Amino acid sequence: MFSLAFNDLKESVASWRLWTLLGWLEVRQRYARSRVGPFWLTISTGVLIGSIGMVYGTLFGQKLSDYLPYLAISLVMWGTFSQTIIEGSTAYINSTAYIRQAATPKLIFMLQVVWRNLVILAHNFLIVLLLLAIFGVKSWETLPVFIPALILYMINALWIAMVAGLLSARFRDLPQIIAAIMQIAFYVTPIIFRPTALNRFSLIVRLNPLAHLIELVRAPLIGEWPTPITWAVAIGMAVFGWIFALALTGRYLKRIPYWV
Amino acid sequence: MAYIELKGATLDLPIYDVQGRSLKKTVLRMGRRNTIAEGTDGVVVVRAINNVDLRLEKGDRIGLIGRNGAGKSTLLRMMAGIYSPTHGSVLSSGKIVPLLDISLGMDENSTGMQNIRLRGLLLGMSDTEIRAKQQSIAEFSELGDYLDLPLRTYSSGMRVRLAFAVSTAVDAEILLLDEVMGVGDASFMHKAQDRLADLHSRAEIVVLAMHSNSEIRKVCNKALWMERGNVRAFGPVEEVVSQYEAQD
Repeated sequence: MFSLAFNDLKESVASWRLWTLLGWLEVRQRYARSRVGPFWLTISTGVLIGSIGMVYGTLFGQKLSDYLPYLAISLVMWGTFSQTIIEGSTAYINSTAYIRQAATPKLIFMLQVVWRNLVILAHNFLIVLLLLAIFGVKSWETLPVFIPALILYMINALWIAMVAGLLSARFRDLPQIIAAIMQIAFYVTPIIFRPTALNRFSLIVRLNPLAHLIELVRAPLIGEWPTPITWAVAIGMAVFGWIFALALTGRYLKRIPYWV
Repeated sequence: MAYIELKGATLDLPIYDVQGRSLKKTVLRMGRRNTIAEGTDGVVVVRAINNVDLRLEKGDRIGLIGRNGAGKSTLLRMMAGIYSPTHGSVLSSGKIVPLLDISLGMDENSTGMQNIRLRGLLLGMSDTEIRAKQQSIAEFSELGDYLDLPLRTYSSGMRVRLAFAVSTAVDAEILLLDEVMGVGDASFMHKAQDRLADLHSRAEIVVLAMHSNSEIRKVCNKALWMERGNVRAFGPVEEVVSQYEAQD
């Protein structure tokens, strides 16, 4: 069971040329025939951050110089995470034409989603860099931690996408359910508000694994060290999640062509 | 040494309707003892291939014949490793290249050249291989400057030419073809036939599903007659095809 999934993963990674190409195609396709191309992403995210920042910054009574970078990092990172999962849930369904054509490894379609969202992240990250440049970097020491944090973050997104994609291929109402869950998760996770702001319902933050995941990639950029608990939750989720995802993939890998 | 061996291979295709596709319905059904009210569970299983034993060896040129819906395409998909059998096994060695539906798996918004690369990668070609063959693929397709235009501007004949040119450029040890004739205009048709003949001579095993018996007699040395998922007859091409024609 595991060996089947492992083999597929190995072969998928080996055909990186294919999934990077497929990922690029999708990004380009969405913004083809427009002069600014994928930088529309940057612009629309910038407008979103600007308007939410003004309104909620005032509502929460926050200093904009602190709040705007915080919000930008949170929104951009959350967008990458939730889009990876939402698009992952339709990855097999949308690749029917390829799956029924040739016996390619199946996980390339998941890696394609991750790659695509990393490309989009790179575009959106310009806003974060811009805000850090304007309002200043809080601490240079914590910045390098962002790299391993981001890798761990995406490893977690990938296993959730794998599970979501596999189950969605069988149950076609699942992508809508997943999109709805991600919407709720957006509200109960400290993305536009600070983790400390929920004093009466702080349980929501402490027991929410997604709060730890977002904290992991946000803290290094706003000059804080992720706490050991945050690291432990993220690593634990990755380990158990991957075991679960690989077991499930190994069990149902052969059924995918029948389902799509 | 290339071969494909099917041992008692059976394939049950599940066909889901809207009910069977729904997680909500499936969960709700779990708690219910009375299944009559709900009717079926939304899944119909069709036995597409039934207990097939076959061994194809080097040098075999097999013509797949049978009526529509006899399981020819499904059998090819199973040999290609796209569908894995529900019972029994399919063993093979050698690089398999399936040419099943040659117009699928291309990107509308990419140029012809980019599609050559995409399709080449999908069919398992390496990057250097694609680069080396790009020129000859472009020439064979006769699309010239159109190759720099996006695929969405192509006519259906042009698409098929491009897809055919890329697919047939792969070095295959085992070649699985499903009704690929009927490509483009008359002159291209002729070229395509030559190209296929050349492919046939290079590949070690060729399996060809086709409705033209005369064509099968010409290029194949064995024929496999499928009927409702079962092998009706397998043997020398002349023998099996005449039986098939007598039946029809």
